[in-house]
Amino acid sequence: MSRREGSLAPQADSSVSLLPPLEAKIRQTHSLAHFLTKYAEQLLQEYVQLQGDPFGLPSFSPPRLPVAGLSAPAPSHAGLPVHERLRLDAAALDALPPLLEAVRRRQAELNPRAPRLLRRLEDAARQARALGAAVEAVLAALGAANRGPRAEPPAAAAAASAASGVFPAKVLGLRVCGLYREWLSRTEGDLGQLLPGGPA
Amino acid sequence: MPAGRRGPAAQSARRPPPLLPLLLLCVLGAPRAGSGAHTAVISPQDPTLLIGSSLQATCSVHGDPPGATAEGLYWTLNGRRLPPELSRVLNTSTLALALANLNGSRQQSGDNLVCHARDGSILAGSCLYVGLPPEKPFNISCWSKNMKDLTCRWTPGAHGETFLHTNYSLKYKLRWYGQDNTCEEYHTVGPHSCHIPKDLALFTPYEIWVEATNRLGSARSDVLTLDILDVVTTDPPPDVHVSRVRGLEDQLSVRWVSPPALKDFLFQAKYQIRYRVEDSVDWKVVDDVSNQTSCRLAGLKPGTVYFVQVRCNPFGIYGSKKAGIWSEWSHPTAASTPRSERPGPGGGACEPRGGEPSSGPVRRELKQFLGWLKKHAYCSNLSFRLYDQWRAWMQKSHKTRNQDEGILPSGRRGTARGPAR
Repeated sequence: MSRREGSLAPQADSSVSLLPPLEAKIRQTHSLAHFLTKYAEQLLQEYVQLQGDPFGLPSFSPPRLPVAGLSAPAPSHAGLPVHERLRLDAAALDALPPLLEAVRRRQAELNPRAPRLLRRLEDAARQARALGAAVEAVLAALGAANRGPRAEPPAAAAAASAASGVFPAKVLGLRVCGLYREWLSRTEGDLGQLLPGGPA
Repeated sequence: MPAGRRGPAAQSARRPPPLLPLLLLCVLGAPRAGSGAHTAVISPQDPTLLIGSSLQATCSVHGDPPGATAEGLYWTLNGRRLPPELSRVLNTSTLALALANLNGSRQQSGDNLVCHARDGSILAGSCLYVGLPPEKPFNISCWSKNMKDLTCRWTPGAHGETFLHTNYSLKYKLRWYGQDNTCEEYHTVGPHSCHIPKDLALFTPYEIWVEATNRLGSARSDVLTLDILDVVTTDPPPDVHVSRVRGLEDQLSVRWVSPPALKDFLFQAKYQIRYRVEDSVDWKVVDDVSNQTSCRLAGLKPGTVYFVQVRCNPFGIYGSKKAGIWSEWSHPTAASTPRSERPGPGGGACEPRGGEPSSGPVRRELKQFLGWLKKHAYCSNLSFRLYDQWRAWMQKSHKTRNQDEGILPSGRRGTARGPAR
C-alpha cells in the first residue's frame, strides 16, 4: 500500500471515514494482533509450566524487573492520540524479537527437551516482527509514521541473561513473555479504535 | 517507555539485531543503591547434587537503609513453604537452610529454591539440580536401509531416569582406522535413536557406541561392531496383487515384485506372507517363501475376504552370512475367495508350518516333475494350469458324488433323491 493511498492528516481521529483499502489493511492487522494475542497466552502458559512452581501458581509475584529497551505500556498510554499509541506499539514490537530470542537461547539450555516451547519462542519473535511491520505500514498509510532518525538501542548490555543465575533467567523469561502478551493486547486495542464501528 | 526505535513504515531493510542480546537485567540479588528496597543473594547458586544428599544454603539480605534483618525471612521450594525448623538465623542479615535426603528434581529446568521477605515478596532464587549420574546405555541395535544409511537405537541405563537432563551421543568409527564421528540426527525412530544418512563404507566393520552425559557424570556403552552388509533391510515388496485361482474356491494367488532398491541383489532374498480373514485380528504367516515372487494360498474358506501382506528379508546380500532384517509389511491387499456351497476347511497356507498333511510339498514336487517332463519328454501341453483344471474337475466331481450319496445315512438308501420313505 503506498503512502498516498488512504492518507490522512496526522491529527485525524478514528471517526474520519477510511478509504476501503486502508480500512481493509487496518482490519487485517487488527485480526493478526487478535490472533497473536491468543498465541501469546499459550506461550505464557507453556513457559510457566516448564519453569516449575511457583511460576505457575496464581500467587506468584516476582519482582517486575526493568528490561532494557522495553517496558510495559504506561498507564498514560490509553490517553494518547491513536497514532501516537500505534507508534509506541510498533516500537515495542520492534524491540521484542531480540528479547524473545535471548529467552529462547536460555530455555534451550534449561529445557532442551521442550521443542514446542522453543518453537513457540522462535515463532513469537517472527510474529512480533511481522506485526510491527504491519503496524508501521498502517501508520505510513495514515501519514503518521515517524520520519525522524532511528534511535540507537541501549549500549553494551552484554549477555546478562547468560551470566545471571538460572532463577533470575527464568524470571526474566517470564517478564519478556508477559511483555509480549501485554504489547500484543495493547496493539489489538489501539488498532480496534481505528476501525469505524469498532472491530469486526 | 520503549526505546525510540521508530522509522518510516516503508523502510525496506531493517538493521539486523545486535549480536549480543539487548538486555540489561537488574539481576535478582544485586543491591540497588538509594532505592529503599531490600534484595538478597542465595548461596550456592544453582548447585548440582546427588539424590539423597544434603544441602546447606544461605540467604543474605542487602538493602537500603543498611542493616536489613534476616528476621521474618522464609524459604520456599517449588512454591511450597519449607518448615521453619529447617531454617536458622546465622546473623542479622543471613538466614540459613538445611535440607537433607534430597529427592530428584521435579523439573529439568531445576527446582526453584526461593528466599522471601516477611511480606512474601521474592528476594532471591536459586535452582537446584538433584539427580543421578547416567548409567551405561545398552542394547544397541542398528540397521541399514538398502545399504545407504544406518539407524541405531539403544536403551538408556537405569531406564533413563536420572532426574537431570542427560545428553546421549552416538559415536561411530571404522574399526581399524579413521576418527570418531558423532551422529547428528537424533530421535528419528524414538527418543533414543540416531540416523546416519550417508558416507558409510561397506565390507569393513564399524565400531559404534553411545555416550551419556549429565551434570553429575558420564557413562559409555559397550562397543558394537558390525558390517553394514550384515544389518541390511529394505522396502516392503511393491505391487502386491492377490487374485482368485480359476475354479478353486479355497485358493488365492499372491504375486509381488522385488523391492526395486535392491532388486539386483535379492537372488537369495526370503519373503514372508501373512494373511487374515477380514474381520479377524489373527494373522497366519507363511514362512520361507524363498526367493519366489509369487505364492498360492490354499485351504482357504470359500466366499471370504482375506487381507494379505508380504515382506522381504535381503538375506545373503553381497555374500553376507547373517540373518538379515525383515522389511516392514507391505500395505494390505484384499481379495475374496469364490463362494461355494460346500463348507470349506478352516484355512491353510501355501507353505504351512509343522507336519500337517497338505498339498504344499506335493505341489512343489509336481512342479519339479512337470519341469523335468518338459525337458526330457514330449509333453509340451503339460502345465500347472492343467493340474489345476484337473483339481477343479475333481472338486466338482466330489461335490456331485456327495450330493448323490449325502442323503444316505449310515444305512443304504439307494440312489433315488427326495425324502426317505
